[in-house]
Amino acid sequence: MNRIEIDFQSCEGCRRCVKACFVNVLSWDREACRPVVAHVEDCVHCNLCELSCPSGSIEVMPDFASLDWTAF
Amino acid sequence: MADLESLGEVARTDVLVIGGGIAGLSAAISVKEKNPRLEVLVVEKATAGWAGKAARGGGILAFLTPDDSPEDFVRYHVEHIGCYLEDQELLMEYACTCNQVLELLDSWGARIARDRRGYWKYVKTPGAEVPWGLAGVDLDMCVHLRRRASELGCRFMDKTAIVELLKSGDRVTGAIGFDVRDGSCRLVLARATILATGSQNYRVMPMWSCGRGDGIAAAYRAGACMRNAEFGSFVNMIHVASREVIFGAEDHMFNARGEDISSRYRPGIQPDICAMSAVGWYLEHVEGRAPVRVKAEENVLQIGSEVLFSTDLVWKRPAAIAFWSRLWEKARRAERESDHGMPEIMPGFIGEQSPVMVDHGMATTVPGLFAVGDVSYSGSAWTGAVPSPPGRIRGSGLMNAVWSACRGAASAVEYISGEGPGAGADASLAAESKERIYRPLGRERGVSALEMVRRVQQAVTPVRYSNWKREDRMREALGMVLEAKEVLSSLKGEDPHDLARCNEARSMVLCAEMFYRASLLRKESRGWFLREDYPDTDNSNWLKWIILQDREGEMALWTEDIPLERYPYRPPPGRSATTLAWR
Repeated sequence: MNRIEIDFQSCEGCRRCVKACFVNVLSWDREACRPVVAHVEDCVHCNLCELSCPSGSIEVMPDFASLDWTAF
Repeated sequence: MADLESLGEVARTDVLVIGGGIAGLSAAISVKEKNPRLEVLVVEKATAGWAGKAARGGGILAFLTPDDSPEDFVRYHVEHIGCYLEDQELLMEYACTCNQVLELLDSWGARIARDRRGYWKYVKTPGAEVPWGLAGVDLDMCVHLRRRASELGCRFMDKTAIVELLKSGDRVTGAIGFDVRDGSCRLVLARATILATGSQNYRVMPMWSCGRGDGIAAAYRAGACMRNAEFGSFVNMIHVASREVIFGAEDHMFNARGEDISSRYRPGIQPDICAMSAVGWYLEHVEGRAPVRVKAEENVLQIGSEVLFSTDLVWKRPAAIAFWSRLWEKARRAERESDHGMPEIMPGFIGEQSPVMVDHGMATTVPGLFAVGDVSYSGSAWTGAVPSPPGRIRGSGLMNAVWSACRGAASAVEYISGEGPGAGADASLAAESKERIYRPLGRERGVSALEMVRRVQQAVTPVRYSNWKREDRMREALGMVLEAKEVLSSLKGEDPHDLARCNEARSMVLCAEMFYRASLLRKESRGWFLREDYPDTDNSNWLKWIILQDREGEMALWTEDIPLERYPYRPPPGRSATTLAWR
């Protein structure tokens, strides 16, 4: 399974990463004003959350070995 | 009897657009440009502007350059792409008007690369004499389109999964779904509904993961006809270790003996990938000549380990280059050193089933419902015997998305003008839909959505089932799909996000059933559709479209003759073996 790490010290709470995710892996904690990695099992490592972060606070670590469907 | 307000929050609009990717946003903008007084609401499961495949694809627009003519495009398409299964009248309209898409996207804020003269900077497909060129648009195009739609007054409802369409009599009058964050029920009543939810890709390949068939399934359940459902088995050739696409790999494949197998399975110069690429890979394995590798140094679409269009050597596209660089940088870490220069490849199943049947104005067979973009690419039939984009023309996906959205928007506006004010919906049917949508949430035991998805994937991804088709193997795969269908009633969802996955799993089972039932009926090989047991293209018996429709819970199938007598290009009668000439 892919992993996503967020550095909450540097996160500015701009919410761009939540917007950028096209499969709703990230949700938004309204009280803390910070993103939450809510459904990492659905992450397909498009990296757009990482690319959209102005402070470089989020990193996607793909697990390519988990893509194990067969063509046979 | 329930009233609609008792079921959930009810929104009202003139035009409901379901899906906030490039097709949906283009439709929303186009409606507003045609009639600014109409209210437009875009509903999206993720966030409109960032959703959909376009932000994660090639960013390529296939258009007719000054050297290309519509007549040449149509002739080439009919002979080499769609193999006479096209609606040639609509194809000609596409060829004559698709270039407007570039002007429109440009006016909406998307960034399309230009040359020194200010014209669209384009390239021709390397090696192939094809009557079109490829322009490059940056991958943040949908963000600009959302901004433009907002400026025009379109409203947005994000994080909302639409599951069913609402009806009043035989008309579609909106949709029902739920907020994927808190699970609250949402209904939208609309005078016209435009479906722009993309194709069915079964959650297999990562960047195509958002195409889960919700809109196809909802349209089917609302009574809409489907067409060309059997052309839903698109593949790209991918790196085994990272599962990332190696563009152009299909032209440089070598087996374990070092034999060039591309020239065997892909004779001549092909405009793009074909189904034989995957079948050839499969046969080399079955016949003991695996693994199949690609000779990267011969790949004209790559420079070293870089894919040509992801560099700024062709188009300067900052967002696209950042996206692809990051993706491939990570993928390279997973790709083995020993593969350097000759990586092992395999077919990466994508699907791209896009069967919602529409007329020339993108109206479905159900009044009030229009379908644009990838959801109706094959269903529109201008495309012929191919899955939705890339189909066999890389760059036709974005073009069709915007082109069909504009046509669908015009039809929706016209429909509303003839329908008079107001829209209602059958509250009893809506209540039934709501009960069905939420059923998995109350279940303590049962099958998880992800387990169900896995079962469907096992029935569609193997080449021997979905691309190298044969009666017995397809029946085996259909059996797997029907077994999955039997346990759909025990789907279990743990939270609203999981509830959305349950619905998607239901849609995948339905789409896979459509694919195999239609595939079993077509007893020939044509274009992307290859059968081991019927290897010839049969122009005497199979110049027909296969239509599907729900008839009281049963999937009814029939054929419709293609009106070739009206078309300029006709195939030779009888059978031809051109599709599988290597045999």
